[in-house]
Parts: sequence; structure tokens; C-alpha cells
Amino acid sequence: MEKKLLVEDHIRRNKRLTVVVCTFMALLFFCIIFAVAYIFFAGNILIGLVFALPIAIVYVAITYSFSVQTVLSAAKARPANPNVREEKLLIHRVEEMSIAAGLPMPKVYVQESEYINAFATGKKPEKSVICTTTGALRKLNQEELEGVIAHEMSHIKNHDILIATVTLGVVGAIALVAEILFWSMLWGGGGRGRRNDGNAILMILAILLVILAPIFARLTYLAISRKREYLADSSGAYLTRNPNGLAKALEKIKADHPKTKPKGSKTVAPLYISNPFKSQNISSVWSTHPPVDERIKRLRSM
Amino acid sequence: MWWIIVILLVIIVVLFLLIYVGYYNKIIRMENRIDNSWAQIDVQLRRRAELIPNLMETVKGYMKHEKEVLENVTKARSALMSAKSPQENIDADNMLTGALKSLFAVAENYPDLKANQNFLNLQDELTNTENKIAYSRQHFNDSVLSFNNTIETFPGMWFAKRMGKKTREMLQIPDAAREVPQVKF
Repeated sequence: MEKKLLVEDHIRRNKRLTVVVCTFMALLFFCIIFAVAYIFFAGNILIGLVFALPIAIVYVAITYSFSVQTVLSAAKARPANPNVREEKLLIHRVEEMSIAAGLPMPKVYVQESEYINAFATGKKPEKSVICTTTGALRKLNQEELEGVIAHEMSHIKNHDILIATVTLGVVGAIALVAEILFWSMLWGGGGRGRRNDGNAILMILAILLVILAPIFARLTYLAISRKREYLADSSGAYLTRNPNGLAKALEKIKADHPKTKPKGSKTVAPLYISNPFKSQNISSVWSTHPPVDERIKRLRSM
Repeated sequence: MWWIIVILLVIIVVLFLLIYVGYYNKIIRMENRIDNSWAQIDVQLRRRAELIPNLMETVKGYMKHEKEVLENVTKARSALMSAKSPQENIDADNMLTGALKSLFAVAENYPDLKANQNFLNLQDELTNTENKIAYSRQHFNDSVLSFNNTIETFPGMWFAKRMGKKTREMLQIPDAAREVPQVKF
């Protein structure tokens, strides 16, 4: 019962956090567009507002409604093919875990990659997607695969996926705008503002904001992301009643170093079961996931 | 002074009604979840029973000397088809699980059969339904546990009594099902 309470609290906090993060992201995005418009139109606040407000609102709305497709295409994922035995078995394991969790069946996707990895995405538990790499299908046995799927199913059940998916969409957009701005400044854009000396400080502030925004956006997300991994590990073990499956899978992931570079965009990294772009055991503010050794240790002691 | 008492009484009654409505809905929802997870188990049991004749058809040609193993599977299947109560269903299913385990163990001795695409497919399907049954059983028991906890603890027990709700039975897994089935050659 204690455990159940913990999860229910977590879900409640997650829903609240989703609203907070979405609002925060919308605000941040608004500030950035405002800053961009401000720089381009020589410090005219009104024009900045006229530009920023509708773009920010429309953009956040679009990111929200297309977030799942965005994540899937960034990962270059395709629907699992039930005619291939490996992928059929994956569909079977997902079916089983959705029954164990008492959730509707998620869509099953596959990503071509040598790496062992998996992620879940979606806006609500009733409409979610679970995706694994082909490397995971080839290198993990069914017990380990089950552990991985249970971990992803727990992210869905704990309402972790909406917040992650939406945040990633907005973070990606912020990075894009920051990049556009960077290049246009190199080309000498925004030079007309020079006759307005009094606005120089505001201008610097605007530029600073553009630089800091993506960092803040990312840190907000990372701070909440690591705690979730431990919880998803333990609720996954609760679903399968077999913490060893996931522990063994994590050990395999740790020992597995393919030669090829991981495919797909870096923005998807926090969604994965373990981050493919970083070495595994360095823990810092930038890590999306807790160190693998610590996760294995906790699973083994269950 | 009397109006303060009236207001206090009204607040208490309203508060009580709100809590009652909350618990009423919670208990009904939990009960529905139990019924729904039983329906899930039932669907999977039927699916499993439907797969068996196909399996027998495929296996028959290869396993000529394993009459007993094949008979056990057929017997367990008909027990499953005629089972009425949830516990009867589960018992028959456990029997079937044991019988199938022996069958697949014996199949290891028939390389031709193991290479048969149809057999491989059926084996995957049967493993899938077996796991699904195990997990829906787990979900059923989880649902029963949280229902029982709610209606046996204060204040839920108080409302449950008024709603005429009684604790539900969990599904028991008999000791026989936990043993590894014997394989005779």
C-alpha cells in the first residue's frame, strides 16, 4: 500500500508539473520571440509584443498537438512489423505488460539502430507509443525485453511521457530559434538599432536571454527526469515481479558498445531508457539518467 | 446562538454527503475494475482453448509415440471448456499449462517438428496467451486487494456496509501449478 500511495502522489505531482512546465515553456518561448523581434526591430516593444504573442501561442499549441509525431520522426521510428518474428515477440511483450498495468495497448514502433534502447511517448496513457531499437530486439532475451517494456509501461502509467514529450518539442524549437538568431547576428542583422543608445542594456539583456533560455529549458527538464527513472525502474519491477529482467538488460546495455554512432536527433535522448549519447557512469546536472550501476544495484536489492 | 449550531450541522451534513459520494464512486469504480480484469482473463482463456486444436493438428503427424502427453492436453482443454466458476477456470488452465509444458519439452526430441513454421508460431502464440493469463491474474488480484483494503479499513468499511458490499476472493494458485511437470520419455 505504501508503494501505491507513492505512485499516486507521483502521478498527481506529475500532472501538476506538466501544467507548470508547459506554462513555463510557453512563457520562455514568448520571451525569446520577443527578444528576437526586439533585436530585429530596433528595440520597439510594441512590435515585439505584436510578433511574439501570437507566434508563441500558436507554436506551443502546434508543438503540443504534433509532439508525438515529432518525437517519432526525430527518432526515425517505424511501426513494428508482426510478420517478423522478433518484432512480433516485441508486440507480444507489450500486450502482456499493458495487461499487467491495466492500460490500453500502446502502439509499437521500432527504430533501426545497433544500440540497445527503448522509449515511450504520447500525450496520455490511453494513446501512447512504445518504441525499441532493433539492437534491443536482437541482443536482449525475452526476460530482459520484458523488463525494459515494463519500465516504459511504468513511464506511461506514471504520466511521465506527456511532460517529457512536450518539453522536448519546445526545447527543440527554442534551440532552433536561438540558432537562427545566432546566424543572422553573424550576418550583421539587427544593426539598425545602433542609434538608440538608451536601449543598449535592454538589447544585451535580450541577447543574454536568447543564450540562456535553452540552458534553462533543459535544466528544468533534467532535474525532474532523473528521479522518474528510479521510480519507473521500481514500478516496472512491480509489474513483472522480476527486477532481475531489467537489471540484466541494463548490464547488457552497459557492456554494449557498437561501433556506429547512434542515429536520430539528440533531443530524444532523455526519453530513452538509457542515454545513448553519453558515457554511462558520469553523473552531473546534465545527465538525463541516473548512473546505470546505481540503478542495477537498486534493482538487485529489491 | 442557535443559528451557529444550525450552520455547523449543515456543514457537517454536506461534508458527510461529499465524502459518501466520493467513497461510493471509488468503491463502484474498484468493483468494475475487478469485473473488467476477470473479463480479460476469460478472453485469454478462450483464446488459449481455441489455439489447442490447431496445435494438436500440427503436432499429430510428428509425435506418434507420445499419446499420453497429447491426451493430457486434450483432457485439460475440455476441462477448461466446461469450467464454470473463476476458480474452476483457473484450475483447468493450470492443468493445461502443465500439460503444454510437457508437450513442448517432449517436442525438443523432434527436430523436424521444431523446424515447422506453424509449430513455432503456435508456440509463440501460446506463450503469449499464457503470459497474458498470468498478468491478468496478477492484475485481478491487485484489483481485489485494493478493493478489499478500501472496504475493510476505516472509513471505507462504514460506507461499504451501507452499500452492501462484501470482500472479494483472490484467485489462488494451487501448489501443483508451481511444480515443474514431469516429463516421461
